[in-house]
Amino acid sequence: MTPPSYKRGRRSISTRRVMALLRSLAKYLIVVIVAVIPIIPILLMYGWLLVQSFSSRVVLGLVPSGLTIENWKFLWSPVKMGLKTYPNIWPITLNTLFVALGEAALVVLVSTMAGYALSRMNFRGRVGLMQFIIALHAFPSVILLIALFIILNKLGLYGKGYLTLMGIMLIKAGLDIPMASWIIKGFFDSIPWDIEWAALVDGCTRWRAWRSVIVPLILPGIGAISIFSFLSGWSEFLLVFTYVKDETYYTLPVLIYHLIGEFRFINWGMLAAIGLFYAIPTLIFFSTSQKLLLRIYVGGIKR
Amino acid sequence: MSKRRWLAVGRKALPFIFLTPLFIMISLSWVAPLFLTVYLGFTNLNIKNFLAFIRDFFTPRVKITMENFKNIFLGQDPYIADVLKTTILYVTSVLLINVFYSLILSISIAYFVRNEIISMILRVAWLLPRITPGIIYALLWLWFIDPTYGLMNSFLSLFGVPKAWLPKSWLLDIPYSQILMIIVNGYVGASFGMIVYTAAIKSIPPDLINAALVDGASEFQVARRIIIPLLRWPMLFVTAWQTMSLLASYEYILMIWGAGGGGGYAGIARAAGVMVWSLYSYSKAFAEYQYGYAAAISLILVVIGLGLIALYFKIFGFRRLMEPSRIEV
Amino acid sequence: MVRVTLDHVSKFFGKVKAVVNLYLEIRDGEFVALLGPSGCGKTTTLLMIAGIYKPTKGRILFDDEDVTDLPPKDRNIGMVFQSYALYPHMTVYENIAFPLRLKKVPKNEIDRKVKEVAKLLQIDHLLDRKPSQLSGGQQQRVALGRALVKEPDVLLLDEPLSNLDAKLRILMRAELKRLQKELKITTVYVTHDQVEAMSMADKIAVMNAGRLQQYAEPHDLYNKPANLFVAGFIGAPPMNFIEGSIREVDGNYFFDAGVFTLKLSNELGELIASKSTDVVLGIRPEHAKISLIERPNAIKGAIYVTEPLGRDMVVNVKVGNIIIKVLTEPNPALTPGKTVWLVISEDKMHFFDKSTEKAIV
Repeated sequence: MTPPSYKRGRRSISTRRVMALLRSLAKYLIVVIVAVIPIIPILLMYGWLLVQSFSSRVVLGLVPSGLTIENWKFLWSPVKMGLKTYPNIWPITLNTLFVALGEAALVVLVSTMAGYALSRMNFRGRVGLMQFIIALHAFPSVILLIALFIILNKLGLYGKGYLTLMGIMLIKAGLDIPMASWIIKGFFDSIPWDIEWAALVDGCTRWRAWRSVIVPLILPGIGAISIFSFLSGWSEFLLVFTYVKDETYYTLPVLIYHLIGEFRFINWGMLAAIGLFYAIPTLIFFSTSQKLLLRIYVGGIKR
Repeated sequence: MSKRRWLAVGRKALPFIFLTPLFIMISLSWVAPLFLTVYLGFTNLNIKNFLAFIRDFFTPRVKITMENFKNIFLGQDPYIADVLKTTILYVTSVLLINVFYSLILSISIAYFVRNEIISMILRVAWLLPRITPGIIYALLWLWFIDPTYGLMNSFLSLFGVPKAWLPKSWLLDIPYSQILMIIVNGYVGASFGMIVYTAAIKSIPPDLINAALVDGASEFQVARRIIIPLLRWPMLFVTAWQTMSLLASYEYILMIWGAGGGGGYAGIARAAGVMVWSLYSYSKAFAEYQYGYAAAISLILVVIGLGLIALYFKIFGFRRLMEPSRIEV
Repeated sequence: MVRVTLDHVSKFFGKVKAVVNLYLEIRDGEFVALLGPSGCGKTTTLLMIAGIYKPTKGRILFDDEDVTDLPPKDRNIGMVFQSYALYPHMTVYENIAFPLRLKKVPKNEIDRKVKEVAKLLQIDHLLDRKPSQLSGGQQQRVALGRALVKEPDVLLLDEPLSNLDAKLRILMRAELKRLQKELKITTVYVTHDQVEAMSMADKIAVMNAGRLQQYAEPHDLYNKPANLFVAGFIGAPPMNFIEGSIREVDGNYFFDAGVFTLKLSNELGELIASKSTDVVLGIRPEHAKISLIERPNAIKGAIYVTEPLGRDMVVNVKVGNIIIKVLTEPNPALTPGKTVWLVISEDKMHFFDKSTEKAIV
């Protein structure tokens, strides 16, 4: 190869520097246009939620005027609107908790057992079952609402207050269990066989090994799943909206839905306050266990 | 039986003991409804013969009929064509956002932005729509688009959108309502692609990027010639997954137009041109009580869904469905 | 082909000081090795020359131009990564052509150059394959081809031979050296293998913990190491180090290691004593002679264990509580337990100041 002759005709160093700078600017411009500007509305919305819930009036959309706790009155007195009195917030909150906790408990129980079996046990149809679970994950559940309605009726759970809520809890748990099992299976998979064998060699029975060695190791996984299913039950709207017609048995999302219809043009403040109240568990859990939840969301995206 | 045999039987049965609760739940929430939907699609179940049906699934008052499908396919339902058009508009538009916009988004956040903290902040911000409880997300949007109190119109004016182009009501004025429908779901969907693509981008060996830089590529050229070609499989995965997901999603539309409309969600959605296929099925069942017809409508989606899943397994194979963000050539 | 100068360059990652105050001048067409243990900062330095890292302090100059702010794209460098970093979705041809395509070189020109480079590196029969279909040695040559095809000013290599098997490594060492001499490209080569550096480079920069220890030609590193680190790093088996002090008794100078004492010539003794009295004596295993008969001014010890290596053997000699390794021709008479005497000529002795670790002689 001959020594390079390209050197002549190359741009000077200052030109190269300027062009590098321009490219850098263009790059950041794109980031701003694509990633920053579109997310501003979303951030504004959250800002509004916070601000509006504590102000009696909001000027210019975001500037608060008149800090007040009036909007939070719903916490201690029933909400009246003309002739209609809406139910007290606390029983509704309890209903929501009932569904959320119930779902979390069910999901954790069933998915831990299933996850362990899928990970550690050998049986015929194991691969088939795994494929089935993944397939379910891809299948959108919301189009089955009509049939579920029939089933709910057939089981005698429709229109029966807490029994209905329980039925909803069961159905919702059933919808989340396949994915939860998959995730727990993943946690079990990450425990090497050696540890179990070491425990057995050290003198544990299979049961003792499970209790003292394995369970502690997947506790983070269980924690993650319980948070995830709690939040799932907490935010469940469609099932309750479709199947529960008696106000006493509403959950928070459904109550908020109806309140929005009524109060939208009158009392944004109260709506914001209730919304913020409802969103508190989600915000708390998300900010404290962010890394863990991110793993879940990456592993089990539904929409 | 001797203790030995008990143990042997026990050991064999153990997996099934562990799996039984799973089977029960899946049957309740998935299998039974699936079969029932198929059956219902061929019946004329509605509010009139509903109670009889509950008492006895084979009551003569519920007839097996092809009427539902005639309505759907032979144009006997005049509104179905509109629904189809709206659905196609909705799915393709949001799909474009979820597959392509999120690609540019993740390249921006995961590659162009060097600072880990800023990258993290942006990622969390874009995840907010997805993790917020649906009704809150709906509430926030309803506020945002409010002509008096909200900031949508002001925000757009800031970017030079002339006043004449802004609608009186984002909720009711077509095509603005449809644009709103697309944007609202787009924000949520974009985060799906962002998660998958970001994971894939992070798994590219940094030496590959450095080699391209040394070879003389600017960061744009690296994105175009190295990163994007390596993201082919994740892109296919996102497309496939989101198509199915979008065909069946209607929750946000229901919440926003339902709560925002004041009146029934069905009427408002129809008027605003945002009645998508899955919502149509839902409203036929729970607003008009025509359960059989609604089941038939959703049966179309079930069939498409099953077909797509079979397709995914064929194209991707089991492994790739589990690791969509691994880059492969 | 350019001169590369690192002008007091430092790189900090938060609190971690990867490279500290490095000053290096690499002449046009020179082959310089950056040698040191892992974590010493040599790869970081290479990446700074490439422009992938920006120095925290200091400047980098190509000839007399300050390129510190320039991204890699604008520096006209070629680089071979340890992992080769071949683009998996492109064929060998496309991999090599990539830099030229980015420069918007006309198609037939690209074709000519790629084929030329491929021929030079003997990979012209592989042009249609994908990287996953190549062996390690072939991948390495493709990476080299990609780096060379744009006729770079500087060629950077990050441990390019470490993923190859031993035989291929030795073969490629000679190949690379010959290639560099023929193309006359300024080359910087990172390695942790001192044999590799010694055999290939014109000059070696030895680094440790981010700092330059010594920058010299191989034989100077071997004969005149600047400090303990360099002395111990260069040469295999490594140099023996024995701590002790210089004492003067009646005008005679001695090196006292506790377990033995050596008389030093007055010249040497005076020279060392003037600099320091607490010293470390360094002797290369190949410079100590073993004798089964008592000798004057020799170190007395007993053979602890022998390691036959075929061509030579390493004899571990225990003196008191220290072990001195000696490299010598195979000799069946040297068996464990035997008493021996080690003779060292003064011109092969290295002395280092115990506290500063710098060489005195």
